[in-house]
Amino acid sequence: MPTAPATDPAASPSPSLQGHTLDVLGLTVRYGGFTALDAVDLAVQPGEILALLGPSGCGKTTLLRTVAGFTRQAEGQVLIDGASIDDLPPNRRQVGIVFQNYALFPHMSVADNVAYGLQARRWAKPRIAARVAELLEMVQLGPLRDRAPRQLSGGQQQRVALARALAIEPSILLLDEPFAALDRSLRLDMQIEIKRLQRQLGLTAILVTHDQDEAMSVADRIAVMRGGRIEQLGTPVEVYDQPRTRFVSGFIGSTNLLPCLMLGAEAGMARIRLPDGAHLAAPLGSAAPLPPGPAVLAVRPEQLMLHDEAADDRFPVALGLALPIGGQTIREATTEGGAPLRLVEPRLGGIADRGPRAWCGLVPGARPAVFPHPDTEEE
Amino acid sequence: MARLRTAGARRRSMGEIAYVGIIGFLAALALLILVGPILVVLATSFTDSRSIRFPPTGFSLRWYELLLDEVRSRQIHRAVGNTLTVAAWAAGLATVLGTAAAVAMARAAGRAGRLADAFFMAPLVLPGLAFGLAALMYFSLLGFRPSLEMLVAGHLIVVAPFVLRTVGASLSQLDPSLLDASRSLGAGPVMTFRRVVLPLIAPGIAAGAFLAFMASVDNVPVSLFLSSARTDMLPIRMWGMMESTLDVRVAAVSGLLILTVFVLMLVMERFTGLTRRMRG
Repeated sequence: MPTAPATDPAASPSPSLQGHTLDVLGLTVRYGGFTALDAVDLAVQPGEILALLGPSGCGKTTLLRTVAGFTRQAEGQVLIDGASIDDLPPNRRQVGIVFQNYALFPHMSVADNVAYGLQARRWAKPRIAARVAELLEMVQLGPLRDRAPRQLSGGQQQRVALARALAIEPSILLLDEPFAALDRSLRLDMQIEIKRLQRQLGLTAILVTHDQDEAMSVADRIAVMRGGRIEQLGTPVEVYDQPRTRFVSGFIGSTNLLPCLMLGAEAGMARIRLPDGAHLAAPLGSAAPLPPGPAVLAVRPEQLMLHDEAADDRFPVALGLALPIGGQTIREATTEGGAPLRLVEPRLGGIADRGPRAWCGLVPGARPAVFPHPDTEEE
Repeated sequence: MARLRTAGARRRSMGEIAYVGIIGFLAALALLILVGPILVVLATSFTDSRSIRFPPTGFSLRWYELLLDEVRSRQIHRAVGNTLTVAAWAAGLATVLGTAAAVAMARAAGRAGRLADAFFMAPLVLPGLAFGLAALMYFSLLGFRPSLEMLVAGHLIVVAPFVLRTVGASLSQLDPSLLDASRSLGAGPVMTFRRVVLPLIAPGIAAGAFLAFMASVDNVPVSLFLSSARTDMLPIRMWGMMESTLDVRVAAVSGLLILTVFVLMLVMERFTGLTRRMRG
């Protein structure tokens, strides 16, 4: 389900805390003959959460492991605050990681887990004790300090993992699918919690995820990855509203892909003809308009609306299931050419009874994307 | 409908009865074969008679008394001392070396690791007698005379695989992200090993040490070739006593061994879940 991108007026990081920058330059990682990362460039701003979003095998985890120092790159550089960390082993990189399965030390208490990184730094005992107490207070786990990890719930374990990673005052915080193991209701709580702490501490963070909702709600910017490259980098709103490729538009939110014919562009509008004869006019995005020819129209469910009468800019559809979801109705439909469609309409007192057939058009002002037809697309 | 169901239930319960019957029979048979001899030896050790015979005639502790008599059972005591010394050294060395080898092999993925694994595990499948003879010839060739050190070396080779197996199993269950976590928190390889790896594989090490110790105490084929009159080992001595005089003290020794092992097994099971580890 598409989630409207979150916009939080208080979202800009506190200016009093200066986070660290992370720069990745031309990073290439190969496993045998397989190129997991292909000359990736990325600049993470101080105090920002950047999400690496993509399907499994897209290189997001490899990028995280290379920044952490677990994987060695074939080419390229990783810089923290402008200084290369390529020659530092993982234990000297000052990078905090929250692992997908939390990776808490099962034979140590909560407090010992949090103290571990400080003991590695040979802090004095009283200083460690004070810092551990402070961190456990911060993640609201003070009373559980002597418990073993297996005695904690999933959410509590994650708080311990977070406190342990924050204890070493990392310059960069890496979050490796941290919410994947939590159940749905807890996930949102933890997302808010992590975002709150990250803001409060002015941390620079990278979130690896394959969950677009998670990326949208937590991240300041999203890098959509595919095949070892970054396909698009932008704010959640940009990536959602102006997907640069068909892959991005399909991966972020749900999208209806309709084969169409690009007729031309005039007065800032692209003229498109659908196979069933409807002529649509879509506002052009910032990208250069496509040349006339076969193309694919990517239109989001909320950009379509149903009408009872035919018109030039509408196409006939056969209606299928209608499901009430929250304040909206999700409708399934099929074009005459057989392409499945999904659309969303606001629900005003019950589900409107439309019968089996309707005409579908664009919502006024909608900006659907037009991509090259797969047959003509250069890969 | 109801009748059908009861008929089905009855048929199933017939099947269940047959199943329980067969399994029960096999279990009883296994118990008879496994536990029977132990009971016979235990019973025999309390006999009043002058030679090993079953069923025992009368009940007495005289053979245990004789066995524990320091003067009259001096040779047995020396053999026990030798056996325990060799077992302690062999198991101790096997634990240190086997753990180190298992850790190294867990890291060396691929061909080299598998080859090393097969090489170190070979003594488990190699006939003990063949290895005992080979070890004797080899050590003699190098100019060594039979000694406790030679026995320790021989036993070390045959008992090390136990440690290798149990520690290897523990290591394979170790979550690699724990090592990543330790490293990312600033711990070097030494601290990671001492604070994370070692505590988590400790039960495997303990189980391996126990098995290695018992295997050494129990070993006949290697001791047969490598021991001498001066370095007499308990199993060899027991065999000699049986052969010449049917000495009932052999049954008494067996009785003590069984009791000791039983207690040790209980302790190990309590602390390390030994049987679980041997299965893995």
